[in-house]
Amino acid sequence: MSWLQKTCRALTMLCLLAGCPAAHAQAPHLQPLPAPAKVDPALADLGRHLFFEPRLSGDGSRSCASCHIPARGFADGEPLSRGYNGTEYFRNAPGLLSVRLKPRLMWDGRGTELNAVVREMLLDAQFMNGNANIIAERIRQMPPLFALWRRAFGERSEPRGEQAFLAIGEYLKTLDFGRSAVDAALRGEAGLPPLADQGMRLFTGKAGCVACHHGPLLSDGRPHRLGVPEHPALMREPLRTVSLLRHVALHKLPNPMATRGDPGVYAISKDPAERGSFITPGLRGLNHSAPYLHNGRFGSLDEVVDFHDRGGGPGSELRPLGLSPQERRALVAFLQALSAPLEKVAEPPAHDYDAVDGSRW
Amino acid sequence: MKRLAFIAMAFAALAAAAWAPSQPPLGPASLTSLPAVPVPAHNPMSAEKIALGRLLFFDARLSGDASTSCASCHLPQHGWSHSEALAPGYPGHRLWRNNPTVLNAAYFRHLMWDGTLDSLEIQARSAMQAPVEGNGKAFMVEMRLRLIPDYVERFRRAFGSEWPQLDDAWRAIAAFERTLVSDPRLVPLDRHLAGDRTALSPAARRGLSLFEGKAGCIQCHHGALASDEGFHALGVPRQQLFDSNPRVQIAVRWQNRQRDVPRAVYRNGDEDLGRYYRTRDPADIGKFRTPSLRELKYTAPYMHNGVFATLREVVDFFDAGGGETANKSPLLKPLGLSSEEKNDLVAFLEALSMERPLLVAVPELPPLLPLDGIVGTDCAAPAGDPVVNFHAAVTQRPRL
Repeated sequence: MSWLQKTCRALTMLCLLAGCPAAHAQAPHLQPLPAPAKVDPALADLGRHLFFEPRLSGDGSRSCASCHIPARGFADGEPLSRGYNGTEYFRNAPGLLSVRLKPRLMWDGRGTELNAVVREMLLDAQFMNGNANIIAERIRQMPPLFALWRRAFGERSEPRGEQAFLAIGEYLKTLDFGRSAVDAALRGEAGLPPLADQGMRLFTGKAGCVACHHGPLLSDGRPHRLGVPEHPALMREPLRTVSLLRHVALHKLPNPMATRGDPGVYAISKDPAERGSFITPGLRGLNHSAPYLHNGRFGSLDEVVDFHDRGGGPGSELRPLGLSPQERRALVAFLQALSAPLEKVAEPPAHDYDAVDGSRW
Repeated sequence: MKRLAFIAMAFAALAAAAWAPSQPPLGPASLTSLPAVPVPAHNPMSAEKIALGRLLFFDARLSGDASTSCASCHLPQHGWSHSEALAPGYPGHRLWRNNPTVLNAAYFRHLMWDGTLDSLEIQARSAMQAPVEGNGKAFMVEMRLRLIPDYVERFRRAFGSEWPQLDDAWRAIAAFERTLVSDPRLVPLDRHLAGDRTALSPAARRGLSLFEGKAGCIQCHHGALASDEGFHALGVPRQQLFDSNPRVQIAVRWQNRQRDVPRAVYRNGDEDLGRYYRTRDPADIGKFRTPSLRELKYTAPYMHNGVFATLREVVDFFDAGGGETANKSPLLKPLGLSSEEKNDLVAFLEALSMERPLLVAVPELPPLLPLDGIVGTDCAAPAGDPVVNFHAAVTQRPRL
């Protein structure tokens, strides 16, 4: 029995003694990734083609992969994502690996259903600014894509925007993090290098990270306020401000024109206590998805660990940890051991339009 | 039976009474000069509004990806319309109809080739928000306007609002468009109607006689716009782009689907059904609004699908008695015009245009600037802020 399993068991016992309602489950702990999802292969293959298809966007220029780049863990590598042409978004683009396991998909907790989030990304003015019926007609105008459509939805089916979202959602279910060194350790297959192993002890012990970062994705999927400083570009670059204020107005918060910072979960929940809270991000694949946090404020894991060690920023829920520089290095080594090499993603060929024969009315 | 006939007559009389006020006066149809521009009560003209509308007309930030302004499809140098039969519209698209000129659009009671829109304000909104034209979503575009300090000031002066409201942008654009009308001093026909016997060239005078007589154009092309504002099927030749251009095919099917035609019609939809979309009367399939004949010199190509590149082609088409179509107007018959007579008709048609085009300098547009430059505060809105409802301000004025 590893020290970790012992710790978990001890915690469980503690909970049982305390009459904790979650005791029958388990105290916060790390878990390996579950088995791959079962998907409809024809639907997922169609979804893969659609994921890389820029013609799903309003002006035909941006695909899902424009901001969710496979080589960057399906994030975009920018502190603040760009979004649709003519706009600049005000948050960091999250990666999409193992997105199927996230209970809430967006930083502010909106999006509990994968296909609904795909729909929002494709249609919203901020992201791809598409139109469901135009998406359907454009698919019909690309014969190879239309053939994939009929393979997925039936030989007599006609493209429909809503079903396109479904196909992309099915493809996203196939994206998983690879097995990391930590997964091997959790399964008792191989030990971690000493520094990372020390980091894992800190993670579940002194540093207390596991309280929020647990489960297979190392996230509790819940809102927390860390007091991450606002990204200066939010107010310095007018198009970022446009995106922020539009978001605030769209979610019907009072007085949007007076907003000067990201309201976080508050915009969705309308609970003032959640002003500036964001959903805990998962910690897998961090080696590929810098910069970090909801506004990409930190470019390196060292910065993120230092920030947590300080107890976060103004209004933070965190408490200072008092880690030594060596302990911080160990935590970073553990975080790095949560990444696996990225799998090569097969990008489908670009499709082109073709004129089609319509029979006269 | 008699009773039924009586009821039918009563309905007909009622319909005629209701219809009469908007019809041209009875008597022989004639061409007239343009009256003063009609201005709706909800959007009175002001210098501030017109100046703002001129800026907005050229401002691509009203579109989704900030690429496309009103002027992208309504180019001043192309008679405030587009030189292509079917304009590109928003990037990634191509439109399904020839886009009409803005010149004198202020006089039409119903806008668009199928008469589906009723005011310039609504047309501006419709065009800038349609996915194939401007694709601008309301909140995004409105918020962009609010971060342009010069606009904030101009909207305040023109409309008295604290922050720009999108509906006011359409009002300002419409006000600007009401200034884009023919100057009668520059239009030979208007000078002729005002009594200047030398205004029309001899060829144009002969063309006018044909127009009102042998060619019978006046039957539909009369009044100040040289349009009866009615809907007629002429059997205009098919636009070949409907068969060869994938983007046009996407547009045609999408437009049919948007107009909620029966599924079987939409699915094989490769036709523009015209006025039918508004009335759902099969007898209106293929009918389009009679266009104005003013400013034709600058607004080629012609017809609802832009299929004719020159006025001579248009005249040839009418001379042949139009084309083939189900609901074809009985007014179209072969005219038997000689080549000289056709030249004369073209000369007359050109005399309905200003001698020089109406051009407007492309304005320099004010920049987006950081918001703090406007309000000078630097704090997140605290929870206890007085609630300023984003929507309440929009609904203070009557909706468009």
